[in-house]
Amino acid sequence: MESDKRRGPRQEVRERILRATYDCVGLFGLSKTTIEDAARHAGVSRATVYRYFPGGRDELMKEVVTWEYWRFFMRLYEEIRSCDSLEELMERALMLAHKAITEHEVLQRLVATEPEVLLHTLTTESAGTQELIAAFLKPYLEMHGLNPRVDVDEAADFLARMVLSYISAPGRWDLADREQVSKLVRAELLAGVVQR
Amino acid sequence: MAPVELRVVGRDLQSAPLDAESPSTLSSRPTLSSFSTLSSPGDGDCGSARLSRIGGEERSSTRIKIVDAALECIARRGIQKTRVEEIARVAGLSRATLYRAFPGGKDDVLEAVVGTEVARLFAALGAAMGEAHDLEDVLVAGISEASRWINDHDALSYVMENEPQYILPHLSFSKMDQLLSTASGFAAPFFMRWLDSEQALRVAEWAIRIVISYTGFGDPPFDLGSPEEARHLVKTFILPGVLALKV
Repeated sequence: MESDKRRGPRQEVRERILRATYDCVGLFGLSKTTIEDAARHAGVSRATVYRYFPGGRDELMKEVVTWEYWRFFMRLYEEIRSCDSLEELMERALMLAHKAITEHEVLQRLVATEPEVLLHTLTTESAGTQELIAAFLKPYLEMHGLNPRVDVDEAADFLARMVLSYISAPGRWDLADREQVSKLVRAELLAGVVQR
Repeated sequence: MAPVELRVVGRDLQSAPLDAESPSTLSSRPTLSSFSTLSSPGDGDCGSARLSRIGGEERSSTRIKIVDAALECIARRGIQKTRVEEIARVAGLSRATLYRAFPGGKDDVLEAVVGTEVARLFAALGAAMGEAHDLEDVLVAGISEASRWINDHDALSYVMENEPQYILPHLSFSKMDQLLSTASGFAAPFFMRWLDSEQALRVAEWAIRIVISYTGFGDPPFDLGSPEEARHLVKTFILPGVLALKV
């Protein structure tokens, strides 16, 4: 097993339990996954799982969803960080996130069968996600021709809100269609933000 | 315990014939029926059709009294803790009268609350947007009126704060898509004086997205309930985008 020297063993065990639980959820579904399954797959005892997640199964499930939620955004970040222009960045982010969400079996199953676990994560994490996306976008905005009449923080916040909104509910836009996405990005996201 | 009892009562009285569903029962039906599914798992879809057979004036004024009493209760204690008895007391009616108006009990009342509030919001929006003279004004009017309405709504604010599980599902994934489609269907005609119907639908949907994003999530940098701040956002981000959409 690969070990990360920067993190303590505690963090490593926690991560191992979460990963194992996530695998179980993928295999059996969330409602059928038990603490015992998670412990067995992680190679730890039931008591260890409870030591890390004193709230038991409920806490473990919420933490697993939050863990995967952030992994989702980390994967997205890895995919788009090398983009050269703001337009390309936005297009790729929307298309990749949309594709990842539609193809994310565990997520889709959660939405259909156990939305409350997902809700917990959305409630606790969405403000932080929005801030993080805004912080990530800010340097791009400063480097890529921000309209001088626009405040960079307002623009970054606007884009973060919009990106999250389109990712979770594309509405009339087909985010699998590159032409549509390009139009969406140029009009509803960047028209006021960048200098023409 | 109470909800189980209520549901049984609702079933017994439900054998009354229902009118054919009228398409004019507000275009908000998808939202309504999903709301009832949410608030009472397993006792879902029978409620929305009942809305369409509101009887004479007397009956509907009783219903409105009950809806307003429910709003007051929810603003104080939330959806979960509000009981039918309390709603009846605040409305100044007996429990029996309430059940005559809402045979399905609490779930039934909740559904009428959503329907009534959506209608009230749309009415307020219609009044504000109908006055506008150009595209900028109609966007500012719609966005600020909707945001102010949401921010000032005591029951909605309480639920958002303390019981987000009732609201958030409607603001994400397919239910948010439904909400966008319903609300933009309502709002688009107000834009059609300046845009063709396809553009009007897009712009309406975008404006609704913006209202929800700025009222429902995180710490917004501006208060879109203020017409000045809404105008700032419209001029900065939306109007340039509308021009780009037209191309």
